[in-house]
Amino acid sequence: MLTGENIVQSVAGLLNWVYSQLGISALAGFINPIISSVVMFGFISVFVMFLVWMERKVSAHMQSRIGPNRVGPFGLLQTVADAIKLTTKEDVKPVNRDKIPYYIAPIIAFVATFMGMVVIPFDKGMVVQDLNVGILYIIAITGFTVIAILTAGWSSNNKFALLGGFRSAAQIISYEVPLVLSVVPIIMITGTLSLTGIVEYQEKAGYWFIFPQIVAFLIFITSATAEANRAPFDIPEAESELIGGFHTEYSGVKFAMFFLGEYIAVVVSSAVAVTLFLGGWLPVAFLGFLHLPGFIWFMIKLVSVIYVVMAFRWTFPRLRVDQLMDFGWKVLIPFSILNILVTAAVWLFLYGKGAQ
Amino acid sequence: MGFFKYFKNVFSGLWNLLVGLSVTSKYFLNFKAVTTQQYPEERLPLPARSRSMIKLIYDDEKDQFNCVACLMCAKACPNSCIKLEGVRQADGKRRMTTFKLDFSTCIFCGYCVEACGFDALTFVSEEYENSVYKRGSLLQDENAMKWIRPAQPASPEAATTEAAAPAVAGA
Repeated sequence: MLTGENIVQSVAGLLNWVYSQLGISALAGFINPIISSVVMFGFISVFVMFLVWMERKVSAHMQSRIGPNRVGPFGLLQTVADAIKLTTKEDVKPVNRDKIPYYIAPIIAFVATFMGMVVIPFDKGMVVQDLNVGILYIIAITGFTVIAILTAGWSSNNKFALLGGFRSAAQIISYEVPLVLSVVPIIMITGTLSLTGIVEYQEKAGYWFIFPQIVAFLIFITSATAEANRAPFDIPEAESELIGGFHTEYSGVKFAMFFLGEYIAVVVSSAVAVTLFLGGWLPVAFLGFLHLPGFIWFMIKLVSVIYVVMAFRWTFPRLRVDQLMDFGWKVLIPFSILNILVTAAVWLFLYGKGAQ
Repeated sequence: MGFFKYFKNVFSGLWNLLVGLSVTSKYFLNFKAVTTQQYPEERLPLPARSRSMIKLIYDDEKDQFNCVACLMCAKACPNSCIKLEGVRQADGKRRMTTFKLDFSTCIFCGYCVEACGFDALTFVSEEYENSVYKRGSLLQDENAMKWIRPAQPASPEAATTEAAAPAVAGA
C-alpha cells in the first residue's frame, strides 16, 4: 500500500544512489534536509496558490457570487496570473523609509511562518525534521511574525503602518498566551512535545483529542486565527480603518511575501490543529474502508480546518481593539486555564499517577 | 458581572457564532443561490425605456428618415452636440440631409428625444455597448445612427405591459 513512509524511503534510496554515483555520499546528511526543505517550499507555494483560489471561491459562494472562473479550469490559474502580476510590478518604496528594516521585514514574515512547516508530519515518517520539541519550536518560530510586522510598520514611515504594527504587537502578545495554554493539556496527556509522538499517541489511544479537548480545540482555532491576523481579528491590517495596516507601503514582490506569509501562517496553525486535535494522518474511523494513504487524510483534514477558518473570516465582523483585548484576556485565558485544571484532575482521577 | 452571567454570556456568544456560521455555510453549499450574470455570455434584457444609444428612426416604407430638420433637438441639447441640416424638397416639405451627433459630449439626458415632435429620435435599449477604439468614432452621422423600428415590440417586457394594459382597461 502506498504510504508516506514508502514514498520518503524510495526517494531517499534514489537520492543515496545519486550521491554514490556522484561520490558525495558523505554530504548526504547536509544535502538531504536542503532538498526536503525545497520540496516543502514548492509544495507550500502551490498549496497557498490553491488556498487563495479556494478563499475567493468560498467567499464568493457565501455571498451568492461565482468568484474567479476565467483563467484556467474553474479559475484555478487565477492565482498564477495574480502572482505573475505581483512579481512583475514596479516596487514602489517610500522615500523616507528605514532602508534595512524595510527590506528585511517581508523576508522575516515569510521565513518565520514557513519554518513552522518544517516539523509538520504529513504522514508517518513524512516530515522534514521530526523535532522532539516540535510544538515548542512552532510556537517560538511563528512568534517571530510579530517582529516582522512591527519592523514593517516602523520602517514604512507611515502613520497607518505604525498603528497597524502596534495593534499587531498588542494582539499577538495577547493571543499567544491562550494559544500556548490550549496546547498544554495535550502535552500533559501525551507526555511528548513531538508532533509525530502526539499523533502516535492518538493512534494508540484510539480517539482524537478533539473529543476530550473540544474546549482546547475552540480556543486553539480562535487564537490561531488571531495569530495569523485574519478576520475577525484583522485589526493590524483593517482595510476600512488603516488602509492596509503594516503593509500599506509595500508593493510588488515584498507585498507578495507578506501575503504568502499570512497564508502559510494559516496553513501552519491549521496543520497543528489537525495534528493535535484531529489525529493527523489517521483515517476517519467510519471511512477507514477507503484505505487512502495517510497524507491524503491529512490534506483532507487540513483543507476542512482551513475552510472553517475561511468561514470565520467571511462570517464574523471585525472586533474592536478593546473587545479584542476583553475576549483574549477575560474569556480565552480563563477558559484555557480552567481546561488545564479540569483535564489534569480528570486524567489523574482516571489513570492515577502512573498514566504515562 | 456575576459568575453565572459570565458563563451564560460566553456560551450564548458561542451559540450565536455557530448560528452565523450555519447561515454562511448554507449559502456556500447552495450553489443555486448564485445571482451573478456572466455578462458577455449572459445578457439581461434592459428595460424598454433605458437610455442607451440614440438612434435616428428610418421609415422603411417611405424610404426616408422621419426627421424634418426642425432643429428642436439641437436647441434642446445642453451640450450642443447635435448638428443637422435640412432642405425644402420639391413637394414643399423639409427633409433632413445631414445629421451629426457627437457622443463624446453627449450626456444621454434625453432632452433631444423628448423635444422631437416627429418621432425621429429614440433611445434603443439593446445598443448599450458603445465603447470605441478611436475618439473620432464617437462622432456619428445619420448613416451610423440609422435605425429601423422592428415590427414587433423590442423587448418581452414591453410586450407583456402592452398586452396587460388593454385587459386592465377592459376590466
